[in-house]
Amino acid sequence: MKLKLLLLFFGVLTLNLQAQDSCDDALSINDGIHTVQQIDGEILEFLTVCPPNFFFGSRAEWYLITTDQDTTVTITTELPQNVGQDTRVSIYSGECGMFTLLCITANEDNGISNLSTAEFQAQAGMEYYIMFDNYWASTGFDFEVTFSEPLEYAVSFTGEAVSCNGCGRIVVDMDGDHLDDLVGISNPVQVLKQLPGGGFSSTSVVVPDPDHPASWSTCAGDLDNNGYTDLVYAGGGGATIMMANEDGSAYTEVSPEIFIFSQRSNVIDINNDGLLDVFVCHDVDANVFFINDGMGGFTTNQGGLGNTGGNYGSIWSDMDNDGDLDMIIAKCGFNNINEYHVNNGDGTYSELGNLYNMDDPTQTWSVAVGDYDNDGDMDVVVGASSGTHRVLRNDITTFVDVTAGSGFDLFFGTDIEWVTKDFNNDGFLDVRGAGNFMIGNGDFTWTLNPTTLTNGPIGDLNHDGFLDIVNGNTIFYNEGNDNNWIKVHPVGTVSNIDGIGARIKITTPSGMQIRDIRSGEGFGQMNSLTANFGIGEDTQVSEVTVYWPSGIVNTIKNPEINQGLVVVEEETSTSVFENDVNSSFNVFPNPVTAETLTLSSSEDLIGSNCIIYNSDGKEELSLKLTNDSINVSQMAAGVYTLIIELKDGTMLRKQFIKAE
Amino acid sequence: MPDPIKFKYSRFFLFIAVLLFMVYGCKKDPIVPMEEEEEEEEVVSPVVFNPLEVPYDLLSTYKFFTGNMSEQMPSEGVLPYEPITSLFTDYAHKSRFIWMPDSVSATYVADHKVLDFPDGTVLIKTFFYNNVQPDDETKIIETRLIFKRNGNWEFANYVWNEEQTEATFDLDGSYVDLSWSENSTTRSTTYRIPSDVECLNCHKNGNEAIPIGPKPQNLNKDLLYTDGTRNQLQKWSEKGLLSGSVPGIIDTVVDWEDTSNPIQDRVRAYLDMNCSHCHADQKYCDYRAPRFAWSETIEDANLGICVEPADFPLPQLTHIVSRGNILRSAMHYRMNSTDETVRMPLLGRTLVHQESVQMIEEWINTLEPNCN
Repeated sequence: MKLKLLLLFFGVLTLNLQAQDSCDDALSINDGIHTVQQIDGEILEFLTVCPPNFFFGSRAEWYLITTDQDTTVTITTELPQNVGQDTRVSIYSGECGMFTLLCITANEDNGISNLSTAEFQAQAGMEYYIMFDNYWASTGFDFEVTFSEPLEYAVSFTGEAVSCNGCGRIVVDMDGDHLDDLVGISNPVQVLKQLPGGGFSSTSVVVPDPDHPASWSTCAGDLDNNGYTDLVYAGGGGATIMMANEDGSAYTEVSPEIFIFSQRSNVIDINNDGLLDVFVCHDVDANVFFINDGMGGFTTNQGGLGNTGGNYGSIWSDMDNDGDLDMIIAKCGFNNINEYHVNNGDGTYSELGNLYNMDDPTQTWSVAVGDYDNDGDMDVVVGASSGTHRVLRNDITTFVDVTAGSGFDLFFGTDIEWVTKDFNNDGFLDVRGAGNFMIGNGDFTWTLNPTTLTNGPIGDLNHDGFLDIVNGNTIFYNEGNDNNWIKVHPVGTVSNIDGIGARIKITTPSGMQIRDIRSGEGFGQMNSLTANFGIGEDTQVSEVTVYWPSGIVNTIKNPEINQGLVVVEEETSTSVFENDVNSSFNVFPNPVTAETLTLSSSEDLIGSNCIIYNSDGKEELSLKLTNDSINVSQMAAGVYTLIIELKDGTMLRKQFIKAE
Repeated sequence: MPDPIKFKYSRFFLFIAVLLFMVYGCKKDPIVPMEEEEEEEEVVSPVVFNPLEVPYDLLSTYKFFTGNMSEQMPSEGVLPYEPITSLFTDYAHKSRFIWMPDSVSATYVADHKVLDFPDGTVLIKTFFYNNVQPDDETKIIETRLIFKRNGNWEFANYVWNEEQTEATFDLDGSYVDLSWSENSTTRSTTYRIPSDVECLNCHKNGNEAIPIGPKPQNLNKDLLYTDGTRNQLQKWSEKGLLSGSVPGIIDTVVDWEDTSNPIQDRVRAYLDMNCSHCHADQKYCDYRAPRFAWSETIEDANLGICVEPADFPLPQLTHIVSRGNILRSAMHYRMNSTDETVRMPLLGRTLVHQESVQMIEEWINTLEPNCN
């Protein structure tokens, strides 16, 4: 008996010592067929989840692949000897350990069977871990590794796990430093604040137990213009607004007494009084909106902005280029036709879907609105939740169906989330939906770029100008490319501080692009409020113009590229210049740690008016220049905008950073 | 099974006990040909229902019940009824009644269609819990009415007071925190009393309000009345609630709880009553593939077997029902969830119906793997 036990013990020990039974001891393999005897090795704690896999089993097997040149690596269990089995595979790079493995890709099912096929682009000399876990079964199987010519994808991502509860819904700047933060909306609310040098600091704030969860959708905006972002939770029984206090250290709950079977929610200034309001789509009744009274209260309204149920995805944009915000509602359910609410300019709206060819019976939960051909107006991709998609070109007086030949006519994936961004910064808007990227070519055609990422909030979480996507508590960083970019951060003073509803237009040698600042795109998530522009190979942006909801227009000339540009709403000016090619205007040191900021210019600055705005758009300093320097010793660390009005009326503008 | 209300009042208890004893209806049950019944002594129904005045502010105004209203003893002319398989509503017990004016009656349309009811018909459904904590009392929450006026169905809902003496008209919707014990399990929920738009969410065809339950397929079973056992459809005919011809053979749902029935039929019956008011043409969720009505689930594809979902709550859920594989079946995942964006049904349920999930598991496991 003793002997038997001993043998058994040895047997187990031998199994555990197999080379592929832990990440650290992953077995190096080459192309060819390999056999997994049994999945009985160790799985790492806090292993980054690789979508579309959501859970892990309790055991794993590990292999290592390194190629000496760039290679397309394909791993498949789709082999005759595996018929009837159910496998899953995840691919990682990085180092074995908690949070240190980066997700490259994964596959659950290859679309043919429950077997798996994963493909990734291996860089020469890099180590890639191949992990099979036993979520479905521990039984052994064969897998085949093949190497082929490397492929170029327009966008690719690498996942990195972060420690966060309730993340995966919101990416937005929470504190006005113009860096996107990651927000977890369980209780406590966790904010992973992006640090200027990269990485995050984490703070958790216990909030009042919300009457309504953010189950169906969430959105965000600074409803009281105090510099700290407030959150909206839209649930199946109503909506809760979480108002951040004066330093973001606490929240108060506002839950208006009205039943809403909520769907998409938006933070938007509906009555254009400079105060952000909250709009909530109602699934089974007229839509509800809460008008901000500016004193911490909201007036509940129902009706007038979609009077029947089936409202899933509202999106606010100036569709007819008349300077005010219109709204499209993606609708779903029997006899529910998409609606187009045109702003009459007097606070009322007319539903004119039929007149504008927007009265679409497509079963859709969200539509992606953007200027797909860069001609200065917002076009629409109606993404189907079931059925087929529709692409609509904005001709201002009507929307023209240009689906045929667009690529969306041959793309049959369905989804509830449809969002447009420029993910590869080539200057043409892409569309994200059904787990894929439709990479825009700028001419109403798109090319499919498959990924395994699932839907999640979008923003720039490492300040590299390329948009990242969050899945659960994993940040998928956009690997980027050589394209240039600019990020515009509008700061309203007359309009709402976030500049929600503002239109941003940029001009480059290749032409113009527009973005509208929106809180609430797609169906359920909250994306960054920054206007991210890719400018491809262009090396210059000649003009950035912000058309504020207030009607004020501000133009910045020749801003620097590959960085963020803060534009503060300025009532008195219509045109300011930064880095004008003919101007030698500059400030130094920048960042400034000294007491004095020195100005240099070929123009005579003495006697000019100088105003410095902080990043919240508040006036920090105003003086008449008596020499070429400004005392900044009293100013807190932060990003500031300095504007000098020369005696001839010319405006000079420069952004600088006051460091600690 | 009818739902027993535990009351100290013996008269009511007796009535319920009589109701309790019943014979299960079964599929293709022939109805006994109608006999000429002796004319019962005409007793005038005390029910008050003036189409120009309804809905009344108070439930008591209708005089649907005699004696202490909380005992739910039907007045003369108010007939209890019960579907063979019933809707799950967070383990609430329900008692159901029908009343219609004198000298009008409903007619048969089809086995699977709601009877064609005359104007003035009122369907009455009371929701209650037993052993409500902390005092182990029976608590009636609400009494829902759907009535027909000028050819259209309309909703009315009455919310019971704490004293259980009266219920007041309220179609705005509200919440009640509840904790109760049953079969040695204590459960809690925030019970939702629906508003009119929530009523319509399930009770509709196109945009028109309709009742759901009173179809021949659901009513074709014996029920014990105070005066003896009768097939419900036959009883309705005898009472003058139903006129014209009714087929001798009706395609009848099974009782999902009766394990002597084939499991797929039990599943079909459960899905019909709990899901088909949305997953059918012209209903709330007509744009998704499943068709869960009893008459439609004779097709495996309408049950979602090996059908890919259009919307993936989790990518691993490859099919609505994946043969032999619970973990890959979206139906199981959604029925087993309380997340309000995932759970099915979406409305009327905040708790998992453990017993039905168990049945779905059992059923999926009986299906020969796999879908690929």
